[in-house]
Amino acid sequence: MKKRKLSKTFKYLQHPDPFESGLSFCAGCPLELLIRLVPKILGNDIVITGTPSCSAPVLLGQNTGTWHKLAYYGTLMTGAAANATGLARYYNRAGIDNTVVCFNGDGTAADIGFSNLSGAAERNEPFIYICYDNEGYMNTGIQKSGTTPFGAHTSTTPVGKKSRGNKNRRGKNLPLLMAMHRIAYAATATMSNLDDLAKKLLKAKEKKKEGFVFLHIFCPCPTGWGVGTDKSIELCRMAVKTNYYPLWEAENGKLIFTHKAKKPKPVFEYTKLIKKFKHLKEDEIAVLQESVDYNYKLLTKIASE
Amino acid sequence: MKKNSKIKVVTGNEAAAIAASLCRPDVIAAYPITPQSEVIEKLSEYHANGALDAELINVEGENSAMNSITAASLAGGRVFTATSSWGLVFMYDAILAASGARAPVVMANVNRETPGIIAVSCGQQDMISVRDSGWINLIAEDCQEILDMLIMAYRLAEDYEIQLPVMVNYDGFYLSYLSEKAEIPAIEEVDGFLSVLKKQPQRPQLLPGKSLGCGSHGILGGYLELRYKHCRALQRAKNKFQQISKEFQKRFLRNSGGQIEEYKTADADMVIVASGSMCGTIKTVIDQKREEGIKIGLVRIKMFRPFPEEELIRTLSGKKSIGVIDRSVAFGFFGGPIYIEIKTLAQDINASVLISFIAGLANIDITVLNIEKIIADLIDASSGKPYEKVNWIPFGQEA
Repeated sequence: MKKRKLSKTFKYLQHPDPFESGLSFCAGCPLELLIRLVPKILGNDIVITGTPSCSAPVLLGQNTGTWHKLAYYGTLMTGAAANATGLARYYNRAGIDNTVVCFNGDGTAADIGFSNLSGAAERNEPFIYICYDNEGYMNTGIQKSGTTPFGAHTSTTPVGKKSRGNKNRRGKNLPLLMAMHRIAYAATATMSNLDDLAKKLLKAKEKKKEGFVFLHIFCPCPTGWGVGTDKSIELCRMAVKTNYYPLWEAENGKLIFTHKAKKPKPVFEYTKLIKKFKHLKEDEIAVLQESVDYNYKLLTKIASE
Repeated sequence: MKKNSKIKVVTGNEAAAIAASLCRPDVIAAYPITPQSEVIEKLSEYHANGALDAELINVEGENSAMNSITAASLAGGRVFTATSSWGLVFMYDAILAASGARAPVVMANVNRETPGIIAVSCGQQDMISVRDSGWINLIAEDCQEILDMLIMAYRLAEDYEIQLPVMVNYDGFYLSYLSEKAEIPAIEEVDGFLSVLKKQPQRPQLLPGKSLGCGSHGILGGYLELRYKHCRALQRAKNKFQQISKEFQKRFLRNSGGQIEEYKTADADMVIVASGSMCGTIKTVIDQKREEGIKIGLVRIKMFRPFPEEELIRTLSGKKSIGVIDRSVAFGFFGGPIYIEIKTLAQDINASVLISFIAGLANIDITVLNIEKIIADLIDASSGKPYEKVNWIPFGQEA
């Protein structure tokens, strides 16, 4: 029998898992994988802050009590980055070794908490901001957010006689916006490319010593997007393969791709897997394809600088 | 005067900045707004000169100012911010979160109106708008009191039996930009005054590697107990402030504290209840009227939250007529907000005449003539003549 090789990711997992064995996420949610990875790589002495969101029941004990042994702080969505700033600044002043991880969804990062995220980035505050992006307000019932893509069906951009989902909008390119603040480190990552994600987490801890770190994690939502509970990782992989979600990193604004799709598949290969895009016709898929191409071209241009 | 103190002419804003830096804060986060800006300009200046050793965060809005210092406070730091008007309203969610987490943050609020963006003028409406946020609210009358109250605020906020945020209010424009003589204590004296806190049991800190959380307090059954304890702490703050005020007087040789100030009330038949910078004018008029044999006095509210119920009942009991001057309005009631609160004591104080005066809104000067008219109204009402229960000043009278 052929001996199977252990994934390279394991060498990054140097700390114990501080979480309970079963976590109260929706079935198939890739957040559990991500959330366990963070303290295993960054250490169990991180101080984790977060807002009311999908991760709140597990991380912050919303309704239930927490499911881990980490130091944590539940903050308002409006001031997520500002709270992390206050903690990190105080620890640094008091000479307390610290890794503050501000762990939020796209609603906090791209919408209601964007001003203080941008403010913290502009001031290059010494902490790590991780945004897990499931392209909407999933915890409150699948409403549209600032990163919801073109055409997507959500409970506030439904498909009806006079509506075709999230129309006339393309969603913010949040990771690129953050990289353009020329912060110490900005990167995109997802759960299909775990090595890449683990490397970036470890790098984040180093780079945090120089200033602000923003990690953007593409995080499919089986419940909200209408896919099978066994399809999350497959969606991550297809998003990377179609260039819907390119993987890159940027140190002080200097951008490089960390993975390149050899022959990018058409975006339809990705959208056809997901119910929230099911209603889209050919011309609408073309708009989404144009968005993907535009974003990729822009990244390539910046990377060549 | 204390031997090692210095006399300096300062603005109200400068007094606030000096007080904050004397207390050696760890983290300051603030955002500029008229008429508060000078406070953070001064702090930035001290910081740049090396006189102030603190983490100074130039945040991108007031909301972030309150969030940052709340977090730093929960981690164990001493913190400060200052704001005014719209800034106070913009941080409202964070204000509630700070008191909900029992974070002992200290803030100077420079009172300013809030009807629209152009009302860049004095008024207490901002303070009234956040009245029910669970904070301790103090109101200063002059520059010296701003300085002293802020120093006392740290003792009160961080006291182990209190653990609540404190807001020190002072009138925008009238006090923020007023240059006045003030006694600046030596920093060693302030250290000594605040050192009591170090001898108390220490509150838990949010620290790396410690299995402790905050911010999710109040889940399910715990909520009721949390609120109850919060309200109890607010009640305790009254006596605690009295005690801290006494200690302050003993060390710095002046009285700047107390829940209320009583000015010539002992033998008075009539009493004006007011707060803030207008009280200087009121005292001047009272002095004149006393010479005419009119028995009038002033009760100045210095602690607005918790409301000094017992102290007010003690001083106001048996007074024939009481006039309450508010520099703000209570929407939905026709009288002023503090008037309404005094009214809740009506049964205890047994006053026959209780009149509301709304004055000084949006920088309208409260003049000697206005106060004379108020006293004349109180005299008329005391003698049984018909009177208006609510009076808007200076409607229909000469300023």
